[in-house]
Amino acid sequence: MTVAVETLPSLPATAPLLTRAVLTARGRRGSEVPDRTLRVEDVRIDRHRLAAYQRLTGYAVSDTVPQPYPWVLAFPVQTALMARPDFPLALPGLVHLENRLTTHRAMDAAEPLTLDVTAGAITPHRRGRTLDVRLEARVSGELVWECDSVYLARGSGTEDAARGESPPALPDGPPAGVWRLADDLGRRYAAASGDVNPIHLHPLTARAMGFPRHIAHGMWTYARVLAALGRGSLGPSTSRVWFTKPVFLPSTVELVRGRDGDTLVAGLRSRTEPHTAHVVVSLSA
Amino acid sequence: MTTTRRAAVLGGNRIPFARQFGPYAEASNQDMLTAALEGLVARHGIAGERLGEVVAGAVIKHSRDFNLTREAVLGSSLAPDTPAYDVQQACGTGLEAAILVANKIALGQADSGIAGGVDSASDAPIVVPEKLRRKLLRLSRAKTPADRARAALTMRPTDLGIQVPANTEPRTGMSMGEHMAVTAERWGVTREAQDQLALASHHHLAAAYERGFFDDLMTPYLGLSRDQNLRADTTLEKLASLRTVFGRGENATMTAGNSTPLTDGASAVLLGSEDWAAAHGLKPLAWFVDGETAAVDYVSGDEGLLMAPAYAVPRMLARQGLALQDFDLYEIHEAFASTVLSTLTAWEDEDFCRERLGLDAPLGAIDRDKLNITGSSLAAGHPFAATGGRILATLAKLLQEKGSGSRGLVSICAAGGQGVVAILEAA
Repeated sequence: MTVAVETLPSLPATAPLLTRAVLTARGRRGSEVPDRTLRVEDVRIDRHRLAAYQRLTGYAVSDTVPQPYPWVLAFPVQTALMARPDFPLALPGLVHLENRLTTHRAMDAAEPLTLDVTAGAITPHRRGRTLDVRLEARVSGELVWECDSVYLARGSGTEDAARGESPPALPDGPPAGVWRLADDLGRRYAAASGDVNPIHLHPLTARAMGFPRHIAHGMWTYARVLAALGRGSLGPSTSRVWFTKPVFLPSTVELVRGRDGDTLVAGLRSRTEPHTAHVVVSLSA
Repeated sequence: MTTTRRAAVLGGNRIPFARQFGPYAEASNQDMLTAALEGLVARHGIAGERLGEVVAGAVIKHSRDFNLTREAVLGSSLAPDTPAYDVQQACGTGLEAAILVANKIALGQADSGIAGGVDSASDAPIVVPEKLRRKLLRLSRAKTPADRARAALTMRPTDLGIQVPANTEPRTGMSMGEHMAVTAERWGVTREAQDQLALASHHHLAAAYERGFFDDLMTPYLGLSRDQNLRADTTLEKLASLRTVFGRGENATMTAGNSTPLTDGASAVLLGSEDWAAAHGLKPLAWFVDGETAAVDYVSGDEGLLMAPAYAVPRMLARQGLALQDFDLYEIHEAFASTVLSTLTAWEDEDFCRERLGLDAPLGAIDRDKLNITGSSLAAGHPFAATGGRILATLAKLLQEKGSGSRGLVSICAAGGQGVVAILEAA
């Protein structure tokens, strides 16, 4: 299958695209995504924004790009792809289920990146259909980073759909950390990342989207857990995340961590209901 | 333990120094110290190692950074079971940290360690005024609602405001520059001599960069790969054109050009025993021979604030049986050009050496071609606690270039009328 590459002149603005995606959500249909890769070349990292991101996610302010950060950079491109009229799924309501990130070599914030976003297969799921999205980052043609995301478009599911790989069990035992997540975490992360999805901002905007109150950005929880695992994710490594249950804000969560061979396994669980896993992360360096 | 062994300087690393509110404006002390440590660890291949200890500090510190150095170690690739602690002796912090580590190695209490320092003049803690602070504490102590209301009612809009830490001596209310201006006048240090020293600092530092001297002493940070304050093309004319900022009237000689600017940065130095170095495939650059600290009574006006090294050095020389001229290199921290010149003038002064130092004869002059030959703080900048590590790593490498047995003297003045000095000898 050849995929047409369409190069955008620069990173688009996210907010107008999100608005368009909301306004055009109804009436999207089909089960094939257009064979299209959206590309933005010469993406320069704004060090002030990077520093804000590093501070908020627990990484040290440094030149090394945190593993989830290219996802943040590519977010407007991904939004642009999904806001296109011929995109079959409605962006509002898409639920980020899983993610895999691979860093091939440490990325320096001074290196201009070429970002590619490609929508992959749509697959039946018990609770609707899933969409694969692939992101790639290159420096002068060298693939330095790649990402595979799985999103769920909720709808009439297929009962006997093949199940994806289930996440590793969250380590039990005493917490390795207790994090009090503030009410304004979503707004702060939105400012740092540009992901202004209303479900993260305020109880009222979240309620308008069908949530009882606002929730933490999954990519924040992912980054924060990776940062807590040390420097491993800054160099060549692969991490995976399973977003199992949203974290309502404000709330207190417990970090748990363990090891399975060479793989670190960690995650966040509810402080009040320790059996509720919010997010499970694995990291192999 | 009655025998001691030699502690070696094995290498050093720092991040380039940035001007206040420059590229490091958003980096914390912990971020910068971690970056300096991590570069040192990477260059010497000691990731995952448990070191004897890591000792560092910062002069301007947030109260939340009570375990600054330990936090930086935990954020580095060193083994998490490497202990660490903070020290603070104003601008002498970095060198004092090295003395502590070297002494433990000499006594056999540690086989290896890192000494360092960091300071940010940009990411400074902001403090509420003292009056408001006391009222807020009273409010938080209050147990009953009535007490709380009473405490809250004492607050006035005029209590509001913020205080940013200043480079001022608490007991005199005078800034370091104002203190130095008094000393400079006392020793008759001229504007021309200060500008000459500043010029040499910039030119020497630029030349050192040109020959790649810092390639294995520095890790680029936040887009900076050279000290931001360096003006390679500065001239005496340019320096002479600057207006004076400290001192008054005709005798004012100190400008922004011959005083160090406020800067952000961090440094770290790896020390170890001979055996530890050999076991880790590392070659000693220099031996840490001796260290000495001194303090002077600047409060009564008996001595200048930054003159303590003038006292520390002769004490250390006497202990080592050395003359001031027995050194191949001198690293005298340029807090201000006039600090270096006042100290050198004092050592040449018969009365000072006899009456103040109790010596029969003056220490004498030094060969100025051996002084700060790769530049010093006037050009590089001076993130207070980071200066000791910068100087130690620079001197250790310079001595190694000169060859075995060559000897270097380090002298650093510090706030509070203190001074920290040391001797290194090429391995």
